[in-house]
Amino acid sequence: MKLTPSVLEMDFSEAQNRICRFIREYVENVGAKGVMLGLSGGIDSATIAALSSLAVGGDNVLALMLPEKENFNQKDIDDAKVVADKFKVQTQICDMSSVLESFYNSIPLFDPKDRLCKGNIKARTRMVYLYYYGNKLNRIVCGSSDKSETMMGYFTKWGDMAADITPIMDLYKTQVRKLAVHLGIPEELALKPSTPALWPDQTAENELGIKYETLDLILYGLERFMASEEIASQLFIDKLIVEKVKVRWLANEHKRRNPIAPKMGYRTVGNDFRLPRHTY
Amino acid sequence: MKDKIKLALAQISSKRENKEANLQKIENLTFKAKEQGADIIVFPELSLTGYVVRDQFYELAETIPGPTVERVEALAKKTGLHVIFGMPELSMKTRATIFNTAVFVGPKGLIGKYRKMYLPTHSVFEEKRYFRPGYQTTMFQTDLGNIGLCICYDLFFPEVLRLIRLKGAQLIVCISASPAVRRGYFEILTCARALENTAYLAYVNLVGVEDGLQFWGGSRLVSPAGDVLAKAKYDEEDFLTCKVDYGDLKTAETFIPTLKDLRPELFDKLKEYSELL
Repeated sequence: MKLTPSVLEMDFSEAQNRICRFIREYVENVGAKGVMLGLSGGIDSATIAALSSLAVGGDNVLALMLPEKENFNQKDIDDAKVVADKFKVQTQICDMSSVLESFYNSIPLFDPKDRLCKGNIKARTRMVYLYYYGNKLNRIVCGSSDKSETMMGYFTKWGDMAADITPIMDLYKTQVRKLAVHLGIPEELALKPSTPALWPDQTAENELGIKYETLDLILYGLERFMASEEIASQLFIDKLIVEKVKVRWLANEHKRRNPIAPKMGYRTVGNDFRLPRHTY
Repeated sequence: MKDKIKLALAQISSKRENKEANLQKIENLTFKAKEQGADIIVFPELSLTGYVVRDQFYELAETIPGPTVERVEALAKKTGLHVIFGMPELSMKTRATIFNTAVFVGPKGLIGKYRKMYLPTHSVFEEKRYFRPGYQTTMFQTDLGNIGLCICYDLFFPEVLRLIRLKGAQLIVCISASPAVRRGYFEILTCARALENTAYLAYVNLVGVEDGLQFWGGSRLVSPAGDVLAKAKYDEEDFLTCKVDYGDLKTAETFIPTLKDLRPELFDKLKEYSELL
């Protein structure tokens, strides 16, 4: 197999149709009234907003914008609004600043210098807002994690990954960007640096230490059981880079699974209790 | 025996775990097929229960004969149609041994059944966890011609359809629950299996989304020369009728004489080498 960018090409009309059908059928089957999502101004959530609108209609999609003062970025808010307007999704802004302050103040152990722990509070607080709305309005919470982030474990456990459905989780970041452009999302937005927005000036590629164009091809090779040496040789990169990605991918499986329990009974939740999801 | 028959391809989505709703759909479409002059109607693999029901198979499986088959027998008798559908079959002799079965019912009652031989247990599939494989290929001599049955992944194994053809099948019916990422394989295999065996092949696939798995539909009738004679929509429920003319078999067999040219000694080698793989 040749690891070139062309392996990540796909029929984006077909992808759009399949994802929209997936969202629509899920919403119908669980009897929900629509979709909730967090709209950050980034490419993943913009794509999710567009797909959700195309699937169930913009009137049935509510996008929450969740700014907070430490990380406030007017450009992100503006970008989010552009997407919301274009795809006619409903929006609401909830300022999380006071809630976050209360959180920080109420934790005796709180360390403001530990930006990762502090940032994870933000991701989990966003989840709380989304689920409050979902609960109150009978809407499913639509997550916007992509395959690159998910494989790398580049997300907050029980934070941004917490959702009822994750429609683009089987698309790599570079595929999401192309799908976004196919959907009519402005190219400028599609190509702007991704960030989880947990602290100022944070960017995904800086933290991961690799460009998505390279990362996605490494992950694509790993997905298809290719050896690290082979991937490195085909991409003309050091094998250590591939190994680093591989270690991170494998080490984060715990973040992608339900909590583990010791096997005690006949059938165990999350293990051999194998039930279908949402029959109808 | 009829030389020409009209076949109805009933490409449905199943309501998972809801046998009553699915049976009603089977009944409604069988009456519709009768109105349109069909002789036989075919429903997808596990259309009685849905495909992704996991541990619930233990609750949903039924013996054959059993309540569902009796109901479909009454339907076939009332409409005068032949009906093929898929269901989880519980063994008569045990309490939790299940087969992935295609059931063939005619106006005079149960004609027979086929238990899926090749159970995919890779990627998203977990059939061997729940099902025991069948050990017999089947071909039934009926008023509508010699009809053989197979199920989905069986199509990947040319020996299954070759055996069915060598038993005399002129029409091979394949019921399926194939997810969208595998569409390309099935589009090739349905044509190849029909062509190499110079037999009609009717393929009926499920549609709908079950636990994230999207079934692609695209049900079809393929001629003995490998041409797609009729094709249902992708991804949506669809119903269509099409004609099988057994008279065309002779034309195909003379122009594509694969059966005349068979080399039985190769099958011994095939056995020998497959055991050594």
